[in-house]
Formats: sequence, structure tokens, C-alpha cells
Amino acid sequence: MTDPKERITEAEAIEQAKQGHEAAFEVLYHLHKRRVYSLCLRMVSNPAQAEDLAQEAFLQLFRKISTFRGESAFSTWLHRMTVNVVLMQLRKKGLPVVSLEETLEADDDAPRKEFGTRDVKLTGAVDRLQLQRAIDKLPPGYRTVFVLHDIEGFEHNEIAQMVGCSIGNSKSQLHKARLKLRDYLKFMRAEKAKTG
Amino acid sequence: MKCSDVERVVPELLDGAPDGALESGDAAFQADLETHLKSCTACADLVSDLKLIASEARQLAASEEPAPRVWVRIAAELRAEGLIREPESAPTQPILIPTSARPSLGQRWTSTAWWLAPVAAALVAAGSYVVSHRPVPQVAKQQAPATAVTSPAAVTSPAPETAAAPSPAVPTPAPQRLAQKSAKATGTVASAARPAVEAAPSDEDQQFLSVVSTLAPATRATYENELQAVNADIRETQAYVNRNPGDVDARQHLMEAYQQKALLYQIALDRIQ
Repeated sequence: MTDPKERITEAEAIEQAKQGHEAAFEVLYHLHKRRVYSLCLRMVSNPAQAEDLAQEAFLQLFRKISTFRGESAFSTWLHRMTVNVVLMQLRKKGLPVVSLEETLEADDDAPRKEFGTRDVKLTGAVDRLQLQRAIDKLPPGYRTVFVLHDIEGFEHNEIAQMVGCSIGNSKSQLHKARLKLRDYLKFMRAEKAKTG
Repeated sequence: MKCSDVERVVPELLDGAPDGALESGDAAFQADLETHLKSCTACADLVSDLKLIASEARQLAASEEPAPRVWVRIAAELRAEGLIREPESAPTQPILIPTSARPSLGQRWTSTAWWLAPVAAALVAAGSYVVSHRPVPQVAKQQAPATAVTSPAAVTSPAPETAAAPSPAVPTPAPQRLAQKSAKATGTVASAARPAVEAAPSDEDQQFLSVVSTLAPATRATYENELQAVNADIRETQAYVNRNPGDVDARQHLMEAYQQKALLYQIALDRIQ
């Protein structure tokens, strides 16, 4: 049984980390590692890159921890820092962070009618691994907005500010991302039904 | 109302954002929309599918565990930059403490931990075999000789009690993960294959746990939680691979999970020696 005296709160860990205590850094890392790493992994779809990005996000956080005054939640601060680290990396690589198109095109609006998937429904359940795989297939711009909105819970105005697009563009990208995911998932389900 | 009208407002339907067509004052539009969704299977399925995708996506937040090496690299960099300003051998908070202050423990560990290195190597080998060999029966049979490292393992009582320890500001990752998984009744990889009762820890896990049990409680809890998390990952992915033997990505993921477990053993060994 863990001795309660030996557990510290996040606030205490932050104060001790400011003084350079390794154990405090480790507490903060373990508290937030899954959120940070998952975000990075969803955005870049590459575990090795995601590890590097998560490492960089935590290092930036720890370097700046003395400036944290508690005005916002620590997790919010870390969350935004992580998104910025990832977006910077994507921009460095010349990958599109979000599409520049502002308007929905008529063809993209219509529900897709994939051959063999017409009668396949998603209702009931979505296999988590299949969803992860489908997200990995998304074009980078769609994936960014989908991850930030549907997985990480950012609002469109926040996404627009972070990625440098309009709110309308953010909504448009999200809608297209969801439609594409639906297509991918229905296709995977149809393929699985065929192979039995 | 036409299907194109529904498709236009689907984003607002899903996200609840106000839209000219869906403002509370436009009751007629709302009524038309509901009538259309009741009669048009395609539109009803579209709305339902997109809602399902959005809700399932939320489950993916914080769903992945980084390899232990990430913290190792972070700690090394923090030391190199001088941001860690205390000697490793004199911790003030025993969250994870080195064993330099416990020579007798180190001697005990050394005499019993000789098995960790070959077990770690066996874990990686087992994982590699899983990835390289396709047929399920061969995978299952091949894993049989290494049952100690592949059988589902559950941390015994200390971990759940650790998770229940009264410190709401410091949530425990592994019990949260387990609670999330038990709450997801359908549609997940593990739901169809997860055993109703967690299997007993393997012999190697038992030995690992008995050794880390001699560490400080908070340190022990960290190792127990890490072991629980990686065993759960192995168990779930193995079940998925058994059902989908041709899935290369899943087999790769399984191998990485084995590697993580081997690394956990290695980190524990390095820390104690």
C-alpha cells in the first residue's frame, strides 16, 4: 500500500520541480505522459517521431516551469505547448498543417457510395484499432483538425488560432475528415466481412 | 427537406454550434429535419455514423503509453542542462529513488536479478517471432515455451490499493486505463477477447514484483503500474492478433509491447544495481 505521505500533489510537484528536484519532474511526467504522447502519435502517426515530440514537449515545459504562475491549469499549459511543438515540426517538414481551401466543394459534400459498402453500417461499435488506422490514413490537414477537435477537445476558434486558419476552414476540414473516416471504416468493415 | 439540406447542417448537428438554420427560433426547420431523418435511412445513418466516430475518437485521448526510454532521455537532458539540481543519491521525495542508500538491497537484487537480462532478451525474441510468423496456431504454440513472458499477467492487490490511495490530485494511470476499458462494453479490440477474470501473474512477473516490493512504496507503485499497463497492452493486442493473424500493423504493435516490457525489466535492473 502506498504511504500517502510519500505522494505529492501536482501543485507540490510543480513547486519542487522549480527547485530542481528530479522526483518532482518525474511525477509531472507520469501524470501527463499519456495525454502528451497520444496527441503526438495521433498527429504524426509515427511512434518514433511521437516519442521525440513528446520528449521535446516535456523538455520545453520543464525549461519554462519556473515561469508557471498557475493562472491556467497546468495540463492546459502543457497541452497547448505540445500542440505547438507538433505543429512546428510539421511546418519544418513542409507538411500541410491544414488545407487552405475555404469552401466546401459540392462533390465532397455528398455521402460517398463506395461499391460494396452501401449496406455496411457503422452503427453499434467502432473497432479502436481500425479507427486508429483510419486516422493514420487521413491527409495531414484533415488529421490535424480531427485530432485537435474530436480527440483532444479543442474548439474551432482555438484550432483556428493554433494552426493559422479561419474558423470556417477548421469546421470544413473537420467535416471532411469525419466523412473520410466513415468511408475508410466502412471499407475496412466490408473487407473484413468478405474475408470472414 | 432534401438530403443536401441535412448534409449542410450535419456539422452543427454534431457539434451543437449555433447555425442560422438551427437556431431555436426556427422550429419549422427543426421539425422538417426530424421528419426527414425518420424517413431517410441514408441521412439517418450518416448522422449516426459521424456521431459514433466523434464519440469513439474521444476515447483515444491519452490512450497510448510512451516507452520508458522517453523518461530516461528526458531525465538525462534535464541533468545535462543543469535543471536537476539535486544529487541522485539524496532524494527528498521517495517517488522513485536510487538504491545507492541500500547496499544490502542491492546485493540481494544482484543475486536474484540475474534472470532479468535473459528474460528481457526472451521477451524481445518472443515479440520478434510473433511479428515474423503468420499462422496463429504456430504463434500460440511458439509462445507456449515462453509462457512466463506472454501469459496475461495482473498485478496483485498492491496496485489497485495504490490506485485507491487518497490523493485525488495524483491519479494513477493504470487503474484509470483499466476503468476506461471496463467501461467500454463494445467495439474495442479487447472487448471480445478479454477474459472475464484477470489471469495470475507469470512467474517472472511474480519475481519482478517481489523484488520491486522491497523498494519505497511510491517507487514500487510506479513499477507495478507500468507492468500492469504493458501486460494489458500485450494481452489486448495478442487477442486482436489471434483474431486477425494477417494484420501486420497489429503484430508490429505487439512486438513493440514486448519490447517495452523488456525495457521495463532492464530499467528496474539498472536502477537497482
